[in-house]
Amino acid sequence: MKLNNIELNFDNFAGEMAKLKSEKHFDYLVTIIGEDFGEEGLGCIYILENTQNHERCSTRVIAKQVGEDYVIPSVLKLWNAANLLEREVFDFLGIKFLGHPDMRRLFMRNDFTRYPLRKDFDESPDANRFPTTDEPETDFTTEWNLDKNGNLVATRHRLFDEDDFVVNFGPNHPSMHGVLRLQAVLDGETVKHIYPHLGYIHRGMEKMMESMTYPQTLAMTDRLNYLCAMMHRHALVGVIEEGMGIELSERIQYIRTIMDELQRIDNHLLYLGTAAQDLGALTAFLYCMRDREHVLNVMEETTGGRLIQNYYRIGGLQDDIDPNFVENTKTLCKYLRPMIQEYMDVFGDNVITHNRFEGVGPMGLEDSINYALTGPAGRAAGWHNDVRKNHPYACYGQVNFKEITLDGADAMTRYMVHIEELYQSLDIIEQLIDNIPEGEFYIKQKPIIKVPEGQWYFSVEGGAGEFGVYLDSRGDKSPYRLKMRPMGLTLTGAFDKMLRGQKVADLVTTGATIDFVIPDLDR
Amino acid sequence: MKEMENNKSYFGEIGSALKTLGTGLKVTMKEYFTPKSTEQYPENRKTTLHVAKRHRGRLVFKRNEDGSYKCTSCLMCEKACPNDTIKITSHMEENPETGRKKKKLDDYQYDLGDCMFCQLCVNACNFDAIEFTNDFENSVFDRNKLVLHLDKEVYQGGSLPNLIEGGAPLTIGKFNTKTK
Amino acid sequence: MFDFSIVTSFVDQLLRQTLGLGDFWTILIECVLVGLGILVGYALLAIVLIFMERKVCAYFQCRIGPMRVGPWGIFQVFADVLKMLIKEIFAIDKADLLLYYVAPFLVIAASVGTFSFLPWNKGMSVLDFNVGIFMVTAISSIGVVGIFMAGWGSNNKYSVVSAMRGAVQMISYEMSLGLCLICAVILTGTMQMSGIVEAQTGPWRWLIFQSPTAIIAFLVFLVSGNAEANRGPFDLAEAESELTAGYHTEYSGMGFGFYYLAEYLNLFVISGLASAIFLGGWAPVNIGLEAFDNVMNLIPGIFWFLGKTFMVVWILMWVRWTFPRLRIDQILKLEWKYLMPLMLLVLVLTTAWVALV
Repeated sequence: MKLNNIELNFDNFAGEMAKLKSEKHFDYLVTIIGEDFGEEGLGCIYILENTQNHERCSTRVIAKQVGEDYVIPSVLKLWNAANLLEREVFDFLGIKFLGHPDMRRLFMRNDFTRYPLRKDFDESPDANRFPTTDEPETDFTTEWNLDKNGNLVATRHRLFDEDDFVVNFGPNHPSMHGVLRLQAVLDGETVKHIYPHLGYIHRGMEKMMESMTYPQTLAMTDRLNYLCAMMHRHALVGVIEEGMGIELSERIQYIRTIMDELQRIDNHLLYLGTAAQDLGALTAFLYCMRDREHVLNVMEETTGGRLIQNYYRIGGLQDDIDPNFVENTKTLCKYLRPMIQEYMDVFGDNVITHNRFEGVGPMGLEDSINYALTGPAGRAAGWHNDVRKNHPYACYGQVNFKEITLDGADAMTRYMVHIEELYQSLDIIEQLIDNIPEGEFYIKQKPIIKVPEGQWYFSVEGGAGEFGVYLDSRGDKSPYRLKMRPMGLTLTGAFDKMLRGQKVADLVTTGATIDFVIPDLDR
Repeated sequence: MKEMENNKSYFGEIGSALKTLGTGLKVTMKEYFTPKSTEQYPENRKTTLHVAKRHRGRLVFKRNEDGSYKCTSCLMCEKACPNDTIKITSHMEENPETGRKKKKLDDYQYDLGDCMFCQLCVNACNFDAIEFTNDFENSVFDRNKLVLHLDKEVYQGGSLPNLIEGGAPLTIGKFNTKTK
Repeated sequence: MFDFSIVTSFVDQLLRQTLGLGDFWTILIECVLVGLGILVGYALLAIVLIFMERKVCAYFQCRIGPMRVGPWGIFQVFADVLKMLIKEIFAIDKADLLLYYVAPFLVIAASVGTFSFLPWNKGMSVLDFNVGIFMVTAISSIGVVGIFMAGWGSNNKYSVVSAMRGAVQMISYEMSLGLCLICAVILTGTMQMSGIVEAQTGPWRWLIFQSPTAIIAFLVFLVSGNAEANRGPFDLAEAESELTAGYHTEYSGMGFGFYYLAEYLNLFVISGLASAIFLGGWAPVNIGLEAFDNVMNLIPGIFWFLGKTFMVVWILMWVRWTFPRLRIDQILKLEWKYLMPLMLLVLVLTTAWVALV
């Protein structure tokens, strides 16, 4: 989608945003992109979606400078999803969001003083020595506001009370699928608060990409979410191809769709497995892993990779499909269908599983939209948020498949959405696999790829939600600003809301069924 | 009336609950006797191991039949590499017959330890001089040994017999757990 | 039927008459020999059980388990034990050192204590009081104290939560465990271990064949015994996905080793008690056909006992490697809302059965 931003300024921003939400029903905040616009100053682009007709719009606001600081009013009261998104912008660009109650850094260390995504950031190694001290942590957080005279004033909020029992889940913890740290305030076995701490695997990809050529940026996406390598790269090549106006052949689109769905099966199988493992059912985990091995084998024959697929490139594919690919895929589909029932028999239908899952981590439809709980988690609350349906890309407009939505809005339905989606993915693959048209698998590009000036946003349906890439090109061979909308960030932001009043064990259950992958949300 | 319902929910669910537990036990019991999925590397490395042909194990020079390479030291691959894995040194050499100046490769250094297998170098090469092979047994005890000089080595096609062709055949849905 | 008292009385005779030792020395030497026997048996069984668990669990999970150390991996556990023995044991900063160091001993003492009550063969029970059943339940609860102390003394938040869970769970399940045992006592009319087994010798005399209520008691015993041994799906105290390793998170080397041993031996003890009390212990399979029974009687009782016990162990492993873990409130609900009322009912029915049949 080429962005045509509605330009707002500091004074009318809050009012106009509220109007967009209440009058035009833009109730889903897709993402907030903080950007250093150069001479125009720092600012943000907000991408919004109307959940009734799936229309998208974007607004842009330039931050107001107050002394040394840059400020924008917070939209947290309109969209709860803005919580972590605004903290991310603050972390990278130093824009303070007025009225946001928790303006701490999100990815970088607390004692880091500069803002890496500003264009004047000093990248020299001397200025960026790796600290060898422990990261300082406080019990307080700050809220910023403007007083009557237009001065910035800080209000301190307490995060923990004196006698709170605080348990850290992570950064290294058996149930965290990566290095996420959830600081849980407990009352006995009951959860009072969850504060997520991110950035333990933050690699600064968006910053790195600003100094890379377009083909080089591709190598990053596979390393975001090792379970959605195909979809992530699809989003990135998608946005670049859209910017350059490349027409792809049917063959490329077919193969991309099949690969995306194979990857989705891979992701969902691991999800089903780890959900079981987090509940102590190691056997169910290994059944899923066993079958996932076959999926990976099918993909590896063509792509040469198991986690790092490295298959899509700008203008097509790395290589044509393997001669045995069609047959292997068909065998795989035949093999997998009965196996899904086995996972249900051994784990999903089990009475213990039902007891552990039902009513756990509840998040209704309205909250799901407000917290931007995309993907299967949102669909479990009945939100029609499948990007494949709402904004079809590749072959998704042509194939027949159902968007799975249920209305339990708890861990059990999230699990069931994944099970049902496995069948849908198999359906999609079986519709396409016999009909891959002849044609080019790669459309030759110039040796140096340049994208014309403009801003684009392209999103795909990843394994755990919408994964989008925003590209701001100034006509160079590397992006001016490239921002990825990770699937997991808003999911993590919703954790506190989902888990208040639930048990410690439910924290693990909810984490298991919400399906986040930490390298994806840390970037 | 309410009490009746309560009683029903108290007793009624026990039966179906036990049934689901029984189903679970049945599944694991069935799997207890099915063929296993563990492939026994390294015992199987020369026998039943399959490695996908397109697996990216390491970079090699493609050789002509006479053993010469195709690299013209044009530096396209070096420039394409995101993390400076490839370093090429060359000098200008004059062909005495034609008098044309041509770059001559001195050293093609490839650091396997830095490589992230993105294939950009292969894509960038206009002379079809380099390729990835599925030769995957690359572990060494010293990082320095991972710094390879592709023009100097005589690559014989993998540490295992038949590896470049993929090794043992692959069947989707089955594991080859045997060692022989 | 092989009677082990031949061996014990021979040793006794040897010490008293052939060597002419007095009461004190005889009993001392005998105690030492028996103690040694128990500990060696304990350690060997632990090794067998750990290996068995790894293989059985692997087979349930479509794997083949350890294969590297020795043929078919049989020396894997020895390697593990060796590793555990030479690991450093270190104290935790700000831990309550007394509790921290004493706790593993309490756990292992409870485990060895209950282990000593198992009736291996006719005339081969180490501790065989007339209130044997009582003593078993009493000694097994020492383990709770050990777990509680370990959790509290470790200065680790996971451990504290785990210790609370462990204590709550074990105290609760002792309830239905005790009721199951009482049912057996009512049916057999004795609390003495050997007496209970004795009452089950003969064709179709195993307790589960004696009364339908005993079958229910047996099943409940397996469930609550599993919970008592802190094994999945009741391994809440360990709950590795929530509390890393629970109460023994902070233990290394043999400190951890003791918990590890105790876990497996508790499994064995529970299975042993189940087979002794409900499956006739060392009583052979007798079906009333004299020829068949005579052949069966030739097999020494200890093989019967071990065979039955390992079968129960296998069943418990099967259960452990199939089901997901329960949540703490669900585990208590299961006990207090389902198992305990059920067992009270079964107790009444058993009494009625004994009175009427």
